[in-house]
Amino acid sequence: MTGLYSRWAVILGATLLLAILTYQHYQQHLSTLSMKTLLSSPPESQPVRIQGMVKSGTLQGDVEHGQATFEFVDGAATLAVEYQGPPLENIRELKTLVLIGRWDSQARIFRAHDTALINNFGFVAAAYLISVMALGWMVFAMSQRVMVLFKEIKESKLYEPEADSLGHKE
Amino acid sequence: MGTKNKKIAIIVSILLVAGSLGYLAFGNFGENIVYFVTPSEVKAFTAEAYSKKVRVGGMVVKGSLKTQPEPVGLTFELTDGAATIPVAFQGIPPDLFKEGQGAVVEGQWRDGRTFHSTMIMAKHSEDYMPMELKQAGVELPKKDFMKTLSP
Amino acid sequence: MPNMINRIIRQIQRYKGWFGGGAALCIFLGLYIGLLASPPDYYQGELVRIMYVHVPLAHTSTLAYSVLFFGSIWYLWKRDPLVDNMCQASASICALFTALALITGSIWAKPTWNTWWTWDPRLVSFTVLLLILGGYIMLRRLVDDRVQGGRYAAILAIVGGIDLPIIKFSVEWWRTLHQPMSFSTRGVSISEDILVPLTLMSIGCWLLFAYMVMVRTQILYLTDLLHAKKGRFLSQTHFSQTTS
Repeated sequence: MTGLYSRWAVILGATLLLAILTYQHYQQHLSTLSMKTLLSSPPESQPVRIQGMVKSGTLQGDVEHGQATFEFVDGAATLAVEYQGPPLENIRELKTLVLIGRWDSQARIFRAHDTALINNFGFVAAAYLISVMALGWMVFAMSQRVMVLFKEIKESKLYEPEADSLGHKE
Repeated sequence: MGTKNKKIAIIVSILLVAGSLGYLAFGNFGENIVYFVTPSEVKAFTAEAYSKKVRVGGMVVKGSLKTQPEPVGLTFELTDGAATIPVAFQGIPPDLFKEGQGAVVEGQWRDGRTFHSTMIMAKHSEDYMPMELKQAGVELPKKDFMKTLSP
Repeated sequence: MPNMINRIIRQIQRYKGWFGGGAALCIFLGLYIGLLASPPDYYQGELVRIMYVHVPLAHTSTLAYSVLFFGSIWYLWKRDPLVDNMCQASASICALFTALALITGSIWAKPTWNTWWTWDPRLVSFTVLLLILGGYIMLRRLVDDRVQGGRYAAILAIVGGIDLPIIKFSVEWWRTLHQPMSFSTRGVSISEDILVPLTLMSIGCWLLFAYMVMVRTQILYLTDLLHAKKGRFLSQTHFSQTTS
């Protein structure tokens, strides 16, 4: 009986560890700064990631050679952006994406040097959580049921398990 | 549970299976098996089909995408290789929507000239690779996009 | 010879712990690589990670239905109650995998296709699989006579087997929003970095399914045994009371 629960404690522990590692990975490498935070307390010199949409009708410059200026919208906030980096087709009007760069508070321009695809990690987390929890719970409930059945059979003294793989406890 | 109730329940469960299989074989699915029509088929529409809500699948023609700021919207062309139709849409397109990719649009071929779309769905292909490989120009074997439109 | 399958099942049951352990190992390694150590896709970004759960769940559910299908044929032919138990076990586990595949698919479809659900042939044929399984499980629950119920259910499962090739080839036969098969005569259209977690999770899900079927078959077997013995015990006490 303790065997079953200690085995599941290990599985639960490993799952939690994985969840914590994933969360940290997300925080360090994928999370973005909101434009409000960027404008009110701009971080010193470090490049930041901001998410928004390229405003329609504002994209100018030569994207194919990696140079562009445009307005970047996130809800009510709007930023002027000067992009200089690898030529990417990700920069197009009405596209939501992540910009990596620095905020120039004197010129009030966000100087971006790279882009990334939006990280909508909520969907990924939802899919993993639902699958892992449903499967984990089902397997756990089944193992517990086997244990209960063996106990019942033993207590009822009705039946001595046969020398058979199905009637045997592992 | 009484025998009568049980019999009813058994009949219901068999009907459930038979019904869903029948749906697959003969029912609506047979007609709706054409999940979307192609631009060539849209062009062949007669006037009475103009008001019907249809789904059209095709590839967004490179260089045809134009956006409008007020009200936010876009126009582009959709092709199946043989025919091309202009599409107009109001709103923000899905994130995976772009030129040179597949899209399925819902709407009406209203006046026989422009397809007025109320919803855009992005159709992505079956190839998956990291950014570095894509930028290095790697092409994985995948089904020719035009063939996915009319198998 | 007639008891060949029965003997094989009993033999494999002995080693079910290995299947469970293997499944846990593969799935944890797959989850780690899938969530942390693999690169995002060039087009879908992080969302490609949903594929590592969705695709293994989906084809494990078709594998589970295949077990149910061939098991039902065998049962109708040989009337082996152990095979009947195995069919019943695969059906309920298949239903879980199918439901999860539909849910994760829906979660993947929203940010990529821009819709939770659409009447796409692949989606419809897969939902029909869930309905067939629902009918199967209902039938088994409602018929008290195990032998009769098993026979009806087996016929139902065999008829429902038509859906399997429809699911498999729906993306090749008809126009769909769902992408075509990544593994086909054209070759493999998934790069190595993304193939590693996908393969690990797939093997993990197959092993997990095998393990779950074995445990569930054992549960059904033990429950039958307990009921049979209790039944005899009750009739014995009844007998002794009336005679004394």
